[in-house]
Amino acid sequence: MAKYDVIVIGGGSTGTAVARDCAMRGLKILLLERDDIASATTGACAGMISSGLKYMDEPNIVDMCSDEVVNFKRIARHVMEKNPIITPLLEMSDISSGGNFAEEYSKRAETRDVPPVLFLTPEDSLKIEPTLNPDLIASIYFEEYFISPFALCMLQALDAKQHGADIKTYCEVTDILTKKGSITGLQYFNRITDKMESAKTKAIVNAAGPWAHKIAALAGAKLELRLNKGAHVILDRRVVNVGVIAKAIEGRMIYLFPHENTVLLGTTALDTWEDPDTLVASQDEIEYLLKSMEWVIPSIRDARIIRTMEGVRPLIPTWKIPEGDVTRGYEIIDHEPEGVSGLISFTGGKLVMCRHMAETATDLVCKNLGMESECKTHNEPLPGNSDDVDILALAKEYGVSQHTVERMRARRGSETATILELTCDHPEWKTTICTCEPVIEAELRYAIRATFPQTLNDLRRRVRLGTGPCQGTFCTFKAAAILAEELELSGEDFQLEIVDFLAERWKGKRQSIRGEQIAQEELAQGIYACVGNLDQALEELDYDLKPWEEVL
Amino acid sequence: MDLEADIVVIGGGMAGLVAGIRATEEGMKTVLLRKGQSATAYSSGAIDIIGYLPGGTVPLGSPVEGLQGIASMFPFHPYGLLGFTDATSDTVSKTIVEKVRTAVSWLKATLLGSSIPLFGDIDSNLDAVTVLGTVKPTCMIQETMWPGSLMLDADSVALFAGVRGFPVFNPRMAAQVFLEHQISNRLPPRKAGHHVLDLAPFGNNYNISSIEIARYLDNEDNLSVLAKTLKKQAERIGATHIALPPVLGFNRARENQLALQDLTGAHVFELLSFPPSVPGLRLQRGLETAFVNGGGTLLVGHHAKMESLESNIVKEVTAVGPRRNLKISTKAVVLATGKFIGGGITGTENGIRESVFDLMTVSESFRIATSITPQKLTNTIALTHMGHPLFGSGLSVDPQFRPITAEEVHAAENLYAAGSVLAGYNYPAEKSGLGVAIVTGYMASRNAVDYVKGVSA
Ligand SMILES: Cc1cc2nc3c(=O)[nH]c(=O)nc-3n(C[C@H](O)[C@H](O)[C@H](O)COP(=O)(O)OP(=O)(O)OC[C@H]3O[C@@H](n4cnc5c(N)ncnc54)[C@H](O)[C@@H]3O)c2cc1C
Ligand SMILES: Cc1cc2nc3c(=O)[nH]c(=O)nc-3n(C[C@H](O)[C@H](O)[C@H](O)COP(=O)(O)OP(=O)(O)OC[C@H]3O[C@@H](n4cnc5c(N)ncnc54)[C@H](O)[C@@H]3O)c2cc1C
Repeated sequence: MAKYDVIVIGGGSTGTAVARDCAMRGLKILLLERDDIASATTGACAGMISSGLKYMDEPNIVDMCSDEVVNFKRIARHVMEKNPIITPLLEMSDISSGGNFAEEYSKRAETRDVPPVLFLTPEDSLKIEPTLNPDLIASIYFEEYFISPFALCMLQALDAKQHGADIKTYCEVTDILTKKGSITGLQYFNRITDKMESAKTKAIVNAAGPWAHKIAALAGAKLELRLNKGAHVILDRRVVNVGVIAKAIEGRMIYLFPHENTVLLGTTALDTWEDPDTLVASQDEIEYLLKSMEWVIPSIRDARIIRTMEGVRPLIPTWKIPEGDVTRGYEIIDHEPEGVSGLISFTGGKLVMCRHMAETATDLVCKNLGMESECKTHNEPLPGNSDDVDILALAKEYGVSQHTVERMRARRGSETATILELTCDHPEWKTTICTCEPVIEAELRYAIRATFPQTLNDLRRRVRLGTGPCQGTFCTFKAAAILAEELELSGEDFQLEIVDFLAERWKGKRQSIRGEQIAQEELAQGIYACVGNLDQALEELDYDLKPWEEVL
Repeated sequence: MDLEADIVVIGGGMAGLVAGIRATEEGMKTVLLRKGQSATAYSSGAIDIIGYLPGGTVPLGSPVEGLQGIASMFPFHPYGLLGFTDATSDTVSKTIVEKVRTAVSWLKATLLGSSIPLFGDIDSNLDAVTVLGTVKPTCMIQETMWPGSLMLDADSVALFAGVRGFPVFNPRMAAQVFLEHQISNRLPPRKAGHHVLDLAPFGNNYNISSIEIARYLDNEDNLSVLAKTLKKQAERIGATHIALPPVLGFNRARENQLALQDLTGAHVFELLSFPPSVPGLRLQRGLETAFVNGGGTLLVGHHAKMESLESNIVKEVTAVGPRRNLKISTKAVVLATGKFIGGGITGTENGIRESVFDLMTVSESFRIATSITPQKLTNTIALTHMGHPLFGSGLSVDPQFRPITAEEVHAAENLYAAGSVLAGYNYPAEKSGLGVAIVTGYMASRNAVDYVKGVSA
């Protein structure tokens, strides 16, 4: 039976950061993820690595966030972008309650390489963002950094791998073994081999996000979480030049953030008891967001909604206060005092804090294992962050459009040249497979070989396949064939990949379906049902209903 | 008045063009408006009449069998409406079958001399093979798409041949899916190979579209290279049948097919594919040519605009073009504006609407849908043989195919509707899209013509 110094449960931002840190300190690591890397909460988040804007009354958290931004700029600048943000004020009361925001933000601005907070006149505001409600009386301007959550997690996982970690996706932990109050190992179900497997260890880090309490229970430990649902509405393109923050109908702040090729309108915050796997955004959430944003961007409803996206925040369990008042800090719980030695769990936290959370947890693990070590995760770059990429030169050299190369660079950084090099032997791999993003065949082949996707949905997280306005209508069958070739899938599995991918896309499309997106869906049904006849193939194919598809 | 017509057809997909061609054949002065592209042009070009009963999972052996089922179980299905006559109940199903047969035979005759002759009839469904390697029941296909004896002859061997840099068709996966399907159903062929051709149309070796290849092959000189490689590859595996993506040409598809068969000694056929679909475009063009040759006036890039219906008779339609507005006087109107793709039906968070006259819409189960949120008309499962009710919503019509109002009377005396703008059938699941368009286009046109003749007399 395989033996590890530490086993990390969960492949979100927290788990991959922990695996990377532990591996870089020389520990033998296994990371187990039930699904794919960044497939849960992390994949649904906005990717803002914020300066701490929402928690100005928690100065130590603001400091931490500010430092983390600087760290990310050092290790992951290739998957980051900086967005200007405007908060238009229609009336004085629109200023959010944290009155010292400007001061706190500006104090730390220089270290993050952003200007201090500016107050803009209506004229200047409209020059920057013409879609704003012309009745505004002023606006607040500042800048924030964003990171691609998928890319960050993948790079952390790959880096951990390069430092010797075993990363296993589609492996669900089903039992944690203890002896006399100490962890001895665990069991997991490997969905790829369809077998129960087990591994030995004395230390487990529970980074299972909104499932963390269930993992703790497997070891007989107690963990409480305040689970809070957040939903986004995704618009088909950059309908705004800059990020916009506005006060929602009940006074919370919501945002419209440019995000890759799209814009995210979010988010809601609802205490939830639902299974995170079955969650979808509700009609109320969609209308709440649209109605709230309509005051400051009156044309918001003209934009094409492509889908919704939702996740569950695993908040620190503080009760009888509004969600917004719960600390955005994190806690690390060592379950030793309750008689489960070797297990530590996280509650709370944010994407922006994941490296910091990992550092603290790894320090604790090392202390428990009685070893001395030093954290290097804030200094050593993640894969692809070595050189600058000359988009224009590469586009010219390989005869691929600048836009395609730029989008590739935003995912792969300095690996871009390596990918394009593949087209020398295979010029046909310059073919665009996903036109919305766009993604060319060479990048798909590369991602399949280098980043261990098991399914088309995994490939979506690697290269943003099918995330644009057509939502996979035109790329699903093309990409499925490439995946099937590379992984040597049977004809049946090839068809299942198509159906699985469409099912996952439909989950997000369905709740907000309206306008052009209905015609888009008619096209998809025309292709896959009317012509492809895959609607009839489901039973023959042994298709398992997805959690959100089950109806009573 | 800028133009005068007996009949104005709004919409230029299958339903509108059938209605238009039929009207000109009856001597009507016919003006047809087509705003943009139609679902018809996006279709695979295979003409489905009925492949599965609504909600059914057993492929129907013949459209006739399906029509009989609809006659007894789904009276408000557009095909079912054909049975609302003065005749007695035991002849309903016969009436329906005969009406469908008439319309389908007429279409076949109309396209006989064209570059896209059709194969098949309503007495049996065909198994058509798609670019995914899947098989679907359909009624008629263009001659170039008929797989011949591939699935009947015990000794047949298939070669799936794709084109390098053309991502729509992966011959290896298609061959695998097809073979697995045939083996599990204990049907031939027992063997299927695959090959990727280096065709490089117009010198391109990547990002190649089906349209590009079809244009390339419309030039006779470009066929020989293809033929040579195909012959070699067919011999390599002993292929009796060669499956190609549908790219054999816009004008020369049939000639190319026959030439390739001559040169390779194998039966050559085109698979069903997705938009941009060459056979769909061939169909669209073939019908438009027939309409114009028959004396019809075709206004492409013009959309019909109406104030809502005030009087009980539509006397005038405004055609809005890029730089002009045309007022057209008319005696009857056929509304064939399609569903969401065509633009005849739209959906917002406030409900499902008809886009030209703001007529009453209903859901697949005939509940008024004018203020139903589209999401409510969907299933949680993306692809299901039940379909999504959203795509079964549209207009409710009387047995003469006149849209009806909430009071269950016709919205206008001389306004008829046809094709996918109608409610009550779910074409992606049933496999009935072009069939309903043909038959309802044919019938709506007949009723409109009768009306015009009646008022003129
Ligand atoms: C709508 C929304 C917007 C957000 N926006 C931001 C933002 O802009 N900036 C920011 O900093 N933060 C944001 N957050 C918060 C941030 O997303 C989360 O704090 C963070 O992603 C949590 O990561 P995690 O790794 O702890 O959890 P997860 O990403 O949920 O990872 C936990 C993993 O554990 C796996 N797992 C569960 N059970 C098992 C098992 N039995 N065996 C194996 N694996 C298992 C799950 O599959 C999952 O992948 C947002 C959150 C939401 C909901
Ligand atoms: C991808 C796909 C593949 C398909 N494959 C098949 C298949 O293989 N076999 C099959 O039988 N069916 C197939 N179908 C279904 C079939 O294409 C449709 O059901 C059928 O074409 C509908 O015909 P229609 O004439 O009613 O509508 P459409 O073909 O959509 O035509 C509607 C027309 O109305 C025009 N229009 C709309 N509003 C206005 C206006 N205000 N003024 C003027 N013009 C207007 C539009 O521009 C368009 O030309 C497929 C559908 C899709 C989407």
